Amino acid sequence: MFDDIEFYVFNHHHYGKLPDRIDDYASSWVDYPNSEFDPQVGHELYERYTRELKLVEELGFDAIALNEHHNTAYSLQPSPTVRAGHVIASTEKIKILVSGIPLNLSMPNRVAEEYAMLDVMSGGRMEFGFPLGTGMEYWSNAAQINPTTARERFREGLQVLLQAWEQPGPTSFEGEHFFYRFLNPWPRPYQQPRPKIYIVGSGSPETVDLAVEFDAGYSVVFVPIANQLRAFESLREKCAARGRTLRPQDLLITTIVYVADTDEEAEREGRPHIERFFSWFHRVQPKYLSPPGYVSRENYLRLASSAALAEAKESTWEDMLALGRIACGSPDTVADTLSRWAEEAQCSRVLLQLSSADMPEEKAVKNMTLFAKEVIPRIRARATAPA
Amino acid sequence: MTAFKQARFELAGVEVAVSELGDGPPLLFLHGAGTVTGFDALLPLAGHFRLIVPNHPGFGASSDDPQIRSVHDYERIYLDLLDALGIDELTLAGHSMGGWIAATLAISQRARLHSLVLAAPWGLRVAEHPTVDLFSLPDAEVPAYLAADLSVFAGKAPDPPTPDWLADRYRESTSAARLLWAHTYDQSLARWLHRIEVPTLLLWGESDRVVPVGQLGSWQSYISGASACTLPGVGHLLFDESPEAVEAIDEFALRYADG
Repeated sequence: MFDDIEFYVFNHHHYGKLPDRIDDYASSWVDYPNSEFDPQVGHELYERYTRELKLVEELGFDAIALNEHHNTAYSLQPSPTVRAGHVIASTEKIKILVSGIPLNLSMPNRVAEEYAMLDVMSGGRMEFGFPLGTGMEYWSNAAQINPTTARERFREGLQVLLQAWEQPGPTSFEGEHFFYRFLNPWPRPYQQPRPKIYIVGSGSPETVDLAVEFDAGYSVVFVPIANQLRAFESLREKCAARGRTLRPQDLLITTIVYVADTDEEAEREGRPHIERFFSWFHRVQPKYLSPPGYVSRENYLRLASSAALAEAKESTWEDMLALGRIACGSPDTVADTLSRWAEEAQCSRVLLQLSSADMPEEKAVKNMTLFAKEVIPRIRARATAPA
Repeated sequence: MTAFKQARFELAGVEVAVSELGDGPPLLFLHGAGTVTGFDALLPLAGHFRLIVPNHPGFGASSDDPQIRSVHDYERIYLDLLDALGIDELTLAGHSMGGWIAATLAISQRARLHSLVLAAPWGLRVAEHPTVDLFSLPDAEVPAYLAADLSVFAGKAPDPPTPDWLADRYRESTSAARLLWAHTYDQSLARWLHRIEVPTLLLWGESDRVVPVGQLGSWQSYISGASACTLPGVGHLLFDESPEAVEAIDEFALRYADG
């Protein structure tokens, strides 16, 4: 165990009000009608999530994580920089991971500027994660952003952004997708030479390669823990081949947690909301997951084959626990599980989803409080205990 | 029925698979944005023509090339193919996306064409009769948009679809998206269609739900003197759905291909 272990709280800002006729909708993404969005409910949710994020700081967590999605009840954050500006003003010292704007949906110099603004405004509290963006984002944004060139454009966008941050301007950039005559963003980041960055992926070889190439950390989201471990192992090998030592703080494991006094109570209280998280907030047609060219034919074949398998066998609560999609139980159970994963992953950053789906605020607060007061001390005690 | 002969050509760095049959004057047929139903329906044309049916790069048996991204890349691949085959003058036909490529070729190569056949061509913006965006249709609805007669798919697709078959469709959809994702029409095509000036047949299924037959009048207004042939009860996959569609090409093209 690593004694510098840190706990990040990922708040997706789910739109927790479910539609009355939920099974009329094949998806909570892309074409889920925005007539189901009630602005009053939305306002109350922003207020609630602000209270939760302030609590995250008060409880002594290490960081808040925010992200971006479009056309979906999954997220009330189509602009995480707008949200982060407010979170900076609502908190004092806690780190904020914006993880983040899919570069392809903006212009890389604008992202460099906006992120530098946040870093300067917060006095250097920012970290940034760079996702390719889910397939759904490519259906939900201008079709001029072509999914068939998404990966090469993303890579070039990262080059632009890092050049803008790291090289004294003005510089110029000439690539296949971007041409800048004067790359000279004001402001520059507060943290020099740059804030900490992660590549955010689902464990694909392409995103692992980007983390190696850009000397970035890596965060795997929404896949079972075994897949996360495999991706980290591959990253570790590829870094070693280039003479880079991957540090425990370069890796973020991600999981959904519900903790209560006993295993039984945790399941009783957490299960309905976590099941809804998967059954509703992850409800999406396969075609929206993979717009044309978003993955290679080979990867598509792998997905099509595993989708067929998944159809044959619905994922149960027990499966989700066994696969390590979630960690749920008493403080001892959750501390054991997370310690084991962090050890296996050789990672000292844990990204936690503690407020999920239609979970009422009281439960989310109880979950966060118990985690901070009962789970974190147990994990830290192991980290400092003599082996 | 006699079968196509298969050949492969390396053209500008991409391998293009070409099906060929017959000994008459050359007829180059450019297919639409999918190869599921194959091209055997066109075989009767080999009775009078040297029928040449390439698979577009990124489709069927041709190799992939992510750099082929514009209609002019396709245009130039086929200029290379004609050189490789030693063909100067020809009859040119194209269906759907291939109709757009054929129209683009006809704009620049009119002196080489005996005649031109555009079958339910993609590419024009006709506000009252918009082209349907196949990408955003639910998968289950696509067949009924493509064909008025669903029996054209019998024996052409595994039921239920296998992962491998789905991956082949995804690959062709990717190749099509390189060209068609950003727009449902070619923004500059209408301006240049006046240059075609060769005998042209516009061929359409009256029940086409992808590129509506209502677009025909616009094509006629841009290509002066173009003839029209429409087939009642026939959808977008007109050659699979109706032997009359193939006969219409044969009859029209024979009038001008006296080579």
